[in-house]
Amino acid sequence: MIAHRNLGLVAAAATLLAAAPLSAIFERWTWLVQAVIAVAAVAACAALARLGRTPLWAQVLAMLGGLTLALTWLFPSGAELLAILPTPSTFGHFAELLTGSVEDMRSYGVKVPDTDPLLFVTVLGIGAVAVLVDVLCVGLRRPALAGLPMLAIYSVPVAVYVDSVPPVPFAIGAAGFLWLLVTDNVDRVRRFGRRFTGDGRDVDVWEASPLAAAGRRLAVVGLALAVLVPLAVPGMTVGLMNTLNSGVGSGLGGPGLGNSPGRVDLFAALSGELNQSRVTDLVKVTTTEKEPFYLRFGVADDLRANGFRVRGPNGQRATGDLPEPAERPRPGVERTRHQATVEVSRELNMPLLPFYAEPANFDDLGSNWFYDPNLQVLFSNRDDSRGKKFSFEYVRSTYTPQALRSAQPLPADLPLRRQQTVTPDVPEVRALVAELTRGERTEYDKVRAIYDYFSEDNGFTYQLSTEEGTSGQQILDFLENKAGYCQQYAAALAWMVRDAGIPARVAFGFTNGSRRSGETLTLTNRNLHAWTEVYFDQIGWVPFDATPSYGVPGSTRSAWAPDTDAPEETTPQDGTSDTPDETDPTAAPDRDPNQFEEGLDAGAGTGSDTPAGRTSPWPWLTVAGLLALLALLAVPALRRLALRRRRGRLAPVARTVDPPDADSATAGQPSVVVSTDPDRARADAHAAWDELIDTLVDYRVRVDPTETPRATADRLSRDSVGTDAAAGTAVRLLGRAEERARYARDPLTGEPLPAALRTVRGALAGQADRRTRLMATVLPPSVLGRWRTTIADTSARLVAAGGQLRYRLLRFNPRRLIANRASR
Amino acid sequence: MTQQTWDEVGGLLPYDEFRAASDAIVTNIEQVIEGKTATVRLALAVLLAEGHLLIEDVPGVGKTKLAKALARSIDCSVRRIQFTPDLLPSDVTGVSVYNQETHDFEFRPGAVFANLVVGDEINRASPKTQSALLECMEERQVTVDGVTYQLQTPFMVIATQNPIEMEGTYPLPEAQRDRFTARIAMGYPDPTAELAMLDGHGAVDPLPALRPVSDADTVRRLIGHVRQVHVADAVKQYAVDLVTATRESPDLRLGASPRCTLQLLRTARAVAALDGRDYVLPDDLQVLAVPVLAHRLIPTADAQLARRTTDAIIADIVHRLPLPHDRKRSPYENRPPAGNGRAPFEPRRP
Repeated sequence: MIAHRNLGLVAAAATLLAAAPLSAIFERWTWLVQAVIAVAAVAACAALARLGRTPLWAQVLAMLGGLTLALTWLFPSGAELLAILPTPSTFGHFAELLTGSVEDMRSYGVKVPDTDPLLFVTVLGIGAVAVLVDVLCVGLRRPALAGLPMLAIYSVPVAVYVDSVPPVPFAIGAAGFLWLLVTDNVDRVRRFGRRFTGDGRDVDVWEASPLAAAGRRLAVVGLALAVLVPLAVPGMTVGLMNTLNSGVGSGLGGPGLGNSPGRVDLFAALSGELNQSRVTDLVKVTTTEKEPFYLRFGVADDLRANGFRVRGPNGQRATGDLPEPAERPRPGVERTRHQATVEVSRELNMPLLPFYAEPANFDDLGSNWFYDPNLQVLFSNRDDSRGKKFSFEYVRSTYTPQALRSAQPLPADLPLRRQQTVTPDVPEVRALVAELTRGERTEYDKVRAIYDYFSEDNGFTYQLSTEEGTSGQQILDFLENKAGYCQQYAAALAWMVRDAGIPARVAFGFTNGSRRSGETLTLTNRNLHAWTEVYFDQIGWVPFDATPSYGVPGSTRSAWAPDTDAPEETTPQDGTSDTPDETDPTAAPDRDPNQFEEGLDAGAGTGSDTPAGRTSPWPWLTVAGLLALLALLAVPALRRLALRRRRGRLAPVARTVDPPDADSATAGQPSVVVSTDPDRARADAHAAWDELIDTLVDYRVRVDPTETPRATADRLSRDSVGTDAAAGTAVRLLGRAEERARYARDPLTGEPLPAALRTVRGALAGQADRRTRLMATVLPPSVLGRWRTTIADTSARLVAAGGQLRYRLLRFNPRRLIANRASR
Repeated sequence: MTQQTWDEVGGLLPYDEFRAASDAIVTNIEQVIEGKTATVRLALAVLLAEGHLLIEDVPGVGKTKLAKALARSIDCSVRRIQFTPDLLPSDVTGVSVYNQETHDFEFRPGAVFANLVVGDEINRASPKTQSALLECMEERQVTVDGVTYQLQTPFMVIATQNPIEMEGTYPLPEAQRDRFTARIAMGYPDPTAELAMLDGHGAVDPLPALRPVSDADTVRRLIGHVRQVHVADAVKQYAVDLVTATRESPDLRLGASPRCTLQLLRTARAVAALDGRDYVLPDDLQVLAVPVLAHRLIPTADAQLARRTTDAIIADIVHRLPLPHDRKRSPYENRPPAGNGRAPFEPRRP
């Protein structure tokens, strides 16, 4: 029972630890407090039920009851008995909370504030996981399976955060899981009675079994790998657009919640994809149009306090012909009809499909796809975009500035205008818009005034590494910092145009990219883009792209929205534009507009604003890597060469050494004397012998540390140098010199050791096969072996030191005290 | 009897003189014992190392002949004791007898009062008699009736024993065995040597014709020379490593004694000198390991059951023990020991 109680507590604690990743979702920590209460209630009920030795099903019921009581107390409807006993109205309240949570999931991005519905769902989920973990661990004794519900909690932030999931909470959760496993196994081992140990020695209860060391090491290595590898390998999770499909709440609310098409944070997905270091082909599109505008798949037109949101689309089946795009011939509006085929790769997974606006009809689309003519998005509730291939006809409209200028302001009571000009009240933005549009008469001129404001002259730069988000404060930050990427530019322009009383929204899609062959464009995750669409009366939605074109590969500009940073050859004819045309070229002298035409990906991946060739550094990096590898491989050979050279050199004639020997005639002299000849001879003999030994190792001749120099020399002259008599004599000479140097009073002097060494080396090389010779030159085994020995020695020392340290620390192990107390 | 002190004996002889003297003895003995040069030299080395020799082999391979030939080659006092079960300690050490003329006890020296003592079939005497040799072999003195008598120099006991025949024998106790510097086996002669033996010994025993080629004084000077042979620190370390390995070997119940270390190094000096060197090599220790160490050790019951003799165990240790590398470092580099760090033996856990 004690073990069970202990295990139950550990299960509860592990559940809470596993919930740590949720901290990335909530702004505050209220959820944790409430989760602790709920889990504690569950654990307490489980413990009580077990005290009564009830069967498993009763324990489950007790835990569920405890969870219900806790939820009732935490989320009261006001009609409870004694504040904790639920009544039917309580459950009605719960149902409302659940529904509300779905709403909240749609409306809030991370991090979410403490709203009751979200907290309810969270606490309910954690409580349910606690029940499951308890049942699996204590009831069924399968703690490994308990990892699955715990993992479910972790999947929530994974699903919500598109690009990065904080590693620390994962480590905490994993540690909780390990704790659970360890506790269960300790309990299991204790039931054996005697504990198994490696060396038959008795081991105290508090002391870890020697057998456990391997498991501990494995666990540590596994945990470290699990945390570090995803950090080290960027973009390991392929196709993060997958998460567009799942949305939030897959771990809590089950499937279906938040799964509506397009109700996701396209902004977050966009920044995530642009920040990917890996480039993935997402879409291939073939069109008959020469200079198509951007491929488009989504739109965000719901502006709230926390930024632009995507509305759920609704529309008709996208099979066959669509209602013909409104044919309202106007002067200055040119309409051309084109044919295009879109092929989506397996990497792009979302409930939306990209196409060119405005479509006239779709072919080859199943009955699962719907078209929303207002939002101009193609969506599905059941299917996804992976591997879809379809073709369609579309009408491309181009406008002259004059045509747009002739558009009248929309009537104030038009639903579209009312709906699409809503902006949260940010006085600074409002003031800026008012200042920019002062004196502008037509709608188009107002839009252009705001649009032109995002020019380099005003200090705007392209930068990927900015904080994402489109809330009022973030727009304000952007307008102040003047650094951002398409998301900020598109949202800010839309926001400001709305402030000016003109409907605007943010569109998502692909630029034309930089890889084009014939009529086919290949678009990657780097080409994802956002821009602004402005509604003009009688004309419709007209795109404006305010993002600096050098930051966007494949950016295209139109006559009505020219590049504000480029030298303006297509300046609007009348001088109503605010942009001081003549200063533009000088303001950006380092930016050659031709660079953009070369279709370079302007460093979008790194977020730097220097346009550089993306593919060009790779060959150099490869060559540099190869060179580095070669240099690394050459290190052993060079080391061997240096050693040989040093040993082959004769000792300098005179050295100053301390007089070490008692037989030195100058014992009473000052401590520095010119060394005697025997010292040098001794050193030479040692050097020659060491070199011989290394040579033997290199040529894979056996080296026996138990052999004396004489025995080694005999063996070599007998076995290894072949029939070469000179080499035999030479190796004996080396052996004798080393022997005398080591053991005799006087070393051999005046013998031609380097010559003998060369002879022996030549003879040994002659006996070795070609592969051995090659290895001896390129990767000398003597050097490698010595390094290996050094490493092994070092690690052995470290292990020994670690063992001692552990032994000392074990003295303070609290479990030892517990064991002592129990034995008393 | 006056003796030179070791100071008077002096240090190193000229190489030629030593060589001539030692070779004369070896050649002389080889007139009797054919084809056993190594054994003969080892016996001479034990003499020069001031040790005692135990010749152990099957009957008829020339144990006694070697002992007698060595004794005859040196012109010094030689006594022979035939160990029999009824031999008494006083027969070995000597006895005080009552002299009726002087009305006093007078000491009659026993067999050990000689330069060379040949003890034949030593294991046939009772332990009581065997132990009479303990004092004289180690301390080179005899104490009878409270009076201590110094023995001469050189003093060497050459004993023979037959390891096969167990009936009516008393195996040497450990203390006795430890006093023998080396135990050598004669081994069978090879066919050519045996043929030469038939030619030479067929008609007449050459032993009585053997003339001494050296004398006690020369031997003393040879011993003085051997004492001066240089032993490098590395060699001393190797000797210590060797005996330590026997003490730590899992196969041995009793390892080698410190006395053994001393005798090993002394014999190694003699071997080196006989080889014409004035310094000892580890090779000398390796050659001597089995003769000097093996007879003192007691294998464990497991090793005995596995029929591992002490000879094999010692050979194994020599084979696995790396040479010490405490030589002066070469100024050219700092190379770690060429050994791959393989420990010869894991120390036994207490």
